[in-house]
Amino acid sequence: MIEIGRIALIIALPVAIFSLLASISAARSESGRFYKGARYGILGIFGLYTLALAVVLYAFFTDDFSVKIVAEHSSHDLSPLYSLSALYADKAGSVFLWGWLISLFSALLVCLTGKADRRMTACTMAILVVIEAFYICLVVLVGNVFAPQSSPVSDGFGLNPLLQNFGMLVHPPLLYLGFAGFTIVFALVMAAVIDRSPDIWRNTLVRHWAIFAWCALGVGNIVGMWWSYNELGWGGYWAWDPVENAGLMPWLLGTAFLHSMVMGRQRNYLTAWGLYLIVFTFVFTLLSPFITHGGIESPLHGFYGSSFPPYILGAMIVVVIGSLILIYIRHRDIRSKESPPSLISRESAFLFTNIILIVLVIIILIGTVLPGIIEGVGGTKIALERSYFDSTCGPIMLLLVLLMGVCPLLGWGKSTWKSPGRNIIIFLLAGTIVSAVILTTGTGNWYIAVVLICGLVLFVIFREWWRGTAVRHNNQKINYFQAFFSLINSNRARYGGFIAHIGIILLALGIIASSFYSIEKTVTLDIGETASVSKYELTYQELTFKQDSAKISAVAKVLVSRSDKEVTTMHPSYAYWFSHDNFFAEVAVRTAAAEDLFVSLVWTAFDPDDKSATFRVLVNPMIVWIWAGGGFFLLGGAVSFSFREKQSSRGTG
Amino acid sequence: MKKKYVIGGVIVLAAVIYLVIVILQNMGSYYQGVSEFYEDIEKIGDNNVRVAGTVVDGSVAWDAEKVKLSFIITEGDQNLPVLYNGAQPSNFKEGSAILVEGKYGSDGMFHASQLILRCSSKYEALLE
Repeated sequence: MIEIGRIALIIALPVAIFSLLASISAARSESGRFYKGARYGILGIFGLYTLALAVVLYAFFTDDFSVKIVAEHSSHDLSPLYSLSALYADKAGSVFLWGWLISLFSALLVCLTGKADRRMTACTMAILVVIEAFYICLVVLVGNVFAPQSSPVSDGFGLNPLLQNFGMLVHPPLLYLGFAGFTIVFALVMAAVIDRSPDIWRNTLVRHWAIFAWCALGVGNIVGMWWSYNELGWGGYWAWDPVENAGLMPWLLGTAFLHSMVMGRQRNYLTAWGLYLIVFTFVFTLLSPFITHGGIESPLHGFYGSSFPPYILGAMIVVVIGSLILIYIRHRDIRSKESPPSLISRESAFLFTNIILIVLVIIILIGTVLPGIIEGVGGTKIALERSYFDSTCGPIMLLLVLLMGVCPLLGWGKSTWKSPGRNIIIFLLAGTIVSAVILTTGTGNWYIAVVLICGLVLFVIFREWWRGTAVRHNNQKINYFQAFFSLINSNRARYGGFIAHIGIILLALGIIASSFYSIEKTVTLDIGETASVSKYELTYQELTFKQDSAKISAVAKVLVSRSDKEVTTMHPSYAYWFSHDNFFAEVAVRTAAAEDLFVSLVWTAFDPDDKSATFRVLVNPMIVWIWAGGGFFLLGGAVSFSFREKQSSRGTG
Repeated sequence: MKKKYVIGGVIVLAAVIYLVIVILQNMGSYYQGVSEFYEDIEKIGDNNVRVAGTVVDGSVAWDAEKVKLSFIITEGDQNLPVLYNGAQPSNFKEGSAILVEGKYGSDGMFHASQLILRCSSKYEALLE
């Protein structure tokens, strides 16, 4: 049965070769027949790939333990919902799913393009088909998802309980959506370079796929943080773990790409930057899942361990060298035509944004791979402390936030100190007052500076909105509410960007508050005893035992009150999972705008006569602001996405 | 134009130097096996280090009242007793490979401030 999937993918390979030849011919001759053939080829690959995926999913849903991947990651009692998680809990399984998404997006792309610009579409198809073929080869030859289970088992090993969580159900697919989306953007942009297409940055397809990929990846990362926070029980959400960095780096590069794209469209500036950035965004998406699964996830593994596949490294090198040669050959056609703007201009602010984002990525990359490289070369085992990332990335990110505030105050092009002068002076004055306040209070609490800078940036953004709204209100005689929406509507690309910036500010505030003002306490209580943490009184009321086919759990009932008023009842639990012969805690979190109360049951004896239990309690301020930031990413992305070229004239952004 | 490159170069150089300094400052805490740890024990002194080993069967003791976990880790025929203020993390069990971070005390115990499990619980299933 599972063999059908393998055969389908093997058939997809010659289809890919056919489609590649057809699309190259179509690009050269503009022949309608070849073009059609290439399109059908892409749709055919998608069909075959979908069949293969259906076969594998069927094996999961029917608990077919004769298939290795099912036996290793699933079990009879696993909820069908988590069968999906079980698929991408496997290294080969996630590459499989990711490849399917690329084939889906390629098919979508050829359906959406219609008759527009055939030659460029043909080039895009050629690039995509090569990428698809690469993934199919990986799935069929290297990480075989169709392999049979060598020794028959009556039940599967089961899925790690930590992965049986809603966050883990959506986090990897969101990342893969982002990666696959950026793959499409890469193909489109490179095709435009090959085709000497003059207006890459005005191409709606490029814009749409880029915004989509950016949103998916950004929200995917935040869902990953949410999962880490709610499921792992350590009370944090970000540890600069290589796996996390691997999702963050392509997103940062993608962010820089988006900014170059905006400049390219509006000012014909930073056009070459955009090309290089999409190449590296794509390359980092390749790196990412193999850091996740290749084994550098823990400090006990080396980067160049046997598990890091050399063919991925090879593919990355081929992509980089190939793309750079291509861009070099075409460099005359893509150079920015306008004279460089002055240092104090909005264009330069975008340029600095790009530089800062790239520096961030370099720092994170060094921190991620350096320990492994040193171990590989010299054999010394080195671990970089978390403080390496905090002390380098923290200030740089702050600079980025500051730029967000300065940028709208600057004029386009050749502005001098005079024209934006007043705005800048106000901003700098405010900044100086802020610094003075911090210095005079003398606490060295630099995070207060962050909060104030964030406030300033928010002020600048809202001032922009307020002014625009007021002008519309006065000129068009409409109420403020209508005026506001008419303002956003007038340039959705720009205001979508502002909304995403608000998301970043919320994220920054949440991170700062929860990093510096978190309170933690671990305490063992008997039934009826009360512990006080911060302003909360926690009374341990009852412990009940539950058993099902997968686990025995102890569920505690904890009454939470605050200044003698009952707030809520929480139910943290602690469970013994048979399949893993181990204990896992299920945390309870009470979320509020100001702070989270996080209660984890970390130990109990499972003894009906001695119900004493150990709780780890954390009060984490402003965590929900981080999740809200993710919401603003989505909202801003959606607003920008809906932007249409004809709505705005050039240079109004 | 030349001036621009000079200024740019200086900034890049300064950034690189700063980065190298930060890396060197944060690289001190490498980890080693229990046997290597004992070899270097005088050199280490009171510094924060990470030691890798396996949790010895039957060595885990848990004092719920005081919220103290103690166990022995082993590697290369050498044992190291570890004391940790906190409950055991998920995925911790006898026989697991573990990384303990902390200081070696004059009482002959390793006082761990952090327990890091091999294939950090988060990715265990994603790995194999």
